[in-house]
Amino acid sequence: MHAEEWSGEDVALDDVERALGRLREESAHETEGPDLRTSVMTHLAWVPAEWHEAAMETLAGLGERHPSRGILLFPDPAAADGIDAKVSILAFPLSAQRRHIAAEVVELRLRGDRAKAPASIVTPLLVSGLPVFLRWRGRPAFGEPAVEQLLDLCDRFIVDSREWPDAPQAYAELPFDRTACSDIAWRRTEPWRLALAALWPGIADARELRVTGPAAEASLLAGWLGSRLERDLELAQEPADRIEAVAVDGETVEAPTEIPSASDLLSAELDEFGRSPVYEASAQAAAR
Amino acid sequence: MTELAENPLLVGLGPRRTPEPCVLVVFGASGDLTRRKIFPALYSLACRHLLPERFAVVGVARSDWSDDEFRERMEHAVREFGRDDFKQEVWDWLAEGTRYLSTDFADESGENRLGALLNELDEERGTRGNRVYYLAVPPQAMETVVTALGKRRSTQGWTRLIVEKPFGHDLESARRLTQRISRHFAEEEVFRIDHYLGKETVQNMLALRFANGIFEPIWNRQFIDHIQITVAESLGIEGRAGYYEEAGAIRDIFQNHLLQLVALTAMEPPIDFTADSVRNEKVKVLKAMHTPGPKHVVRGQYGPGYIEGKPVPGYREEEGVAPGSMTDTYVAAKLFVDNWRWADTPFYVRTGKRLPRRETTIGIQFKRAPHPPFEESATEELRPNLLLVHVQPDEGVSLAIGAKVPGQGMKIRTVHMDFMYGGAFRTELPEAYERLLLDAMLGDQTLFTRSDEVEEQWALVDAIVAAWKRDQPAFPNYAAGTWGPAAADDLVHRDGRNWLRP
Repeated sequence: MHAEEWSGEDVALDDVERALGRLREESAHETEGPDLRTSVMTHLAWVPAEWHEAAMETLAGLGERHPSRGILLFPDPAAADGIDAKVSILAFPLSAQRRHIAAEVVELRLRGDRAKAPASIVTPLLVSGLPVFLRWRGRPAFGEPAVEQLLDLCDRFIVDSREWPDAPQAYAELPFDRTACSDIAWRRTEPWRLALAALWPGIADARELRVTGPAAEASLLAGWLGSRLERDLELAQEPADRIEAVAVDGETVEAPTEIPSASDLLSAELDEFGRSPVYEASAQAAAR
Repeated sequence: MTELAENPLLVGLGPRRTPEPCVLVVFGASGDLTRRKIFPALYSLACRHLLPERFAVVGVARSDWSDDEFRERMEHAVREFGRDDFKQEVWDWLAEGTRYLSTDFADESGENRLGALLNELDEERGTRGNRVYYLAVPPQAMETVVTALGKRRSTQGWTRLIVEKPFGHDLESARRLTQRISRHFAEEEVFRIDHYLGKETVQNMLALRFANGIFEPIWNRQFIDHIQITVAESLGIEGRAGYYEEAGAIRDIFQNHLLQLVALTAMEPPIDFTADSVRNEKVKVLKAMHTPGPKHVVRGQYGPGYIEGKPVPGYREEEGVAPGSMTDTYVAAKLFVDNWRWADTPFYVRTGKRLPRRETTIGIQFKRAPHPPFEESATEELRPNLLLVHVQPDEGVSLAIGAKVPGQGMKIRTVHMDFMYGGAFRTELPEAYERLLLDAMLGDQTLFTRSDEVEEQWALVDAIVAAWKRDQPAFPNYAAGTWGPAAADDLVHRDGRNWLRP
């Protein structure tokens, strides 16, 4: 992998676009023929200050698997108006081929009032004709202009409700009627859902689910089981950093062996495109 | 897979396809195929949790090995040929259910011991009498094994039979083999493996054609000038003289891989993606292909030459090859599919060993623009549109289009729009055998060849080979490391065309 970078303060979007073109060309000089540009999606991320580090770590593990154009928006409403930018081209070799695939990462610090109109900043940078995935770090303030504008732009809205202080009640605000939504916390429950599904048909009359784990995952798991079995289910949750144990009517469920990384989880979400009726029903059930 | 439909908790849990519990029995387990392909594929499936929880593998061969010795050899094979990093816990899981039986299968005691072992595994591993028999054995052993298995097939569970090529040596032997198999196994239980059909890019041909509205309306004689299919290998016969002397390029590649690629390129849209719908359409193409006359087929044999700068011997100098061998190592042909869509559209196909590089491509050459309004000098470097499907090694699709050269005046050149698999999907492409083994365990025959397809393929090959008996070309007629005999160039030059440079 090789990388080219450019950065600037108080920039215009034209500067960013020119930098992208120039870096792509420079990157191609190191290989035989031009690097192939991504052709799958634009990956947009809204990253408030407290999530910078976690977002960068996740992205580091993601770039090669999803060589999209990534646009990271770092809102800084307290600073003076302006946009600072850093543009990188990461060129990954195509295995057994003589060419590279170029992933583009545009980091934009939106200072002052610029953070209030993110759609007008992002729209010129979207790759035409490709879907837009929006990863929102932290709890989105639904109804606020930034969220509303970016929701209008995206084809898929990705959150991690483990980052929300008010899950599961806040699930009632998820914009299922506007765009396909997904939740990384929901994805984390997948190995447990498979383990529970393996208990069918014995589990059909389940009455109580006991989960040792975060509130988000526990409530989604209970919402899922209740909505799939079409019955009211009592949830007993004991807090923990990750799901450690699950029991149905007092019977412990065998723990799955695989724990996917943060990059794996986001990667799996970026592989999905359509709405998930099962997730939507589970989140709605959890919010009740 | 009835559980899937009945269990409401599995709805939405991804496209995970896990077969029912079963035992995979590999005949010819000491051979190269088991080592290089089958076990590495099983290991990759195990890494992705795609094998059933209750699963076992039994290797059957003549070599006098113990269970542990077999496991050890297969572990080495997985480490050497597997595409995934070696994980001890995954291997331990696979090895725990792996057994080996040493028998030549020509005697009753071998059959009895296998039956006893399988029953034992049903008890121990919960495999419910479900069997997948993989026949990776030489053609002469095929009938013996099929008959023995048929006589003693399990009365519980389901049985599936995976048959490796060659499916016979000619039409008559293929029919005989089919008859022998059908005495004991229904067609729905037989999975004739052509590993080309398991390749992602071959399946992508179906996606390209039938999932994109722009191609199908122009996928016919009105817009397509001709089609070229190349299956080129830079390798020689790699110590397989015994097999290759009998088969030649026409039976090794042309009869199966190449004709399957023609069928997938030319077939009508199936009504759905079920096994029979897809195979019905492929058979129609094979039936519609008329036998090319002798002038439309070129055969060749390589002489000494150079591959990647290194001298390599000619075919007749390869170990085990007769000094005066007349075996073909190269075949090119001009084929026609006589139906409404393709009448008079030539399909130029070629395959050979010791060609300059390993490359499999399908080239769809469109007709020239009818009246380009540019001066002739502006378009002298412009070629007609070409859609190239790269099957291997650079998997992907590229479309050659004309584009204006930047600057003053109007000068138009051919440029390529590329879709490379690795560029869009950074996941590694699965090995063909992974897909096919899994499909066989799931009972999905879509990517396997049906007996009538095989027979149509042999009918065409028999007609070509019959004509060859009447003349004796001067072999060798192309040097290793070149693109085949001059006569193959003449085949396309006569029509005012050229082979595409792969």
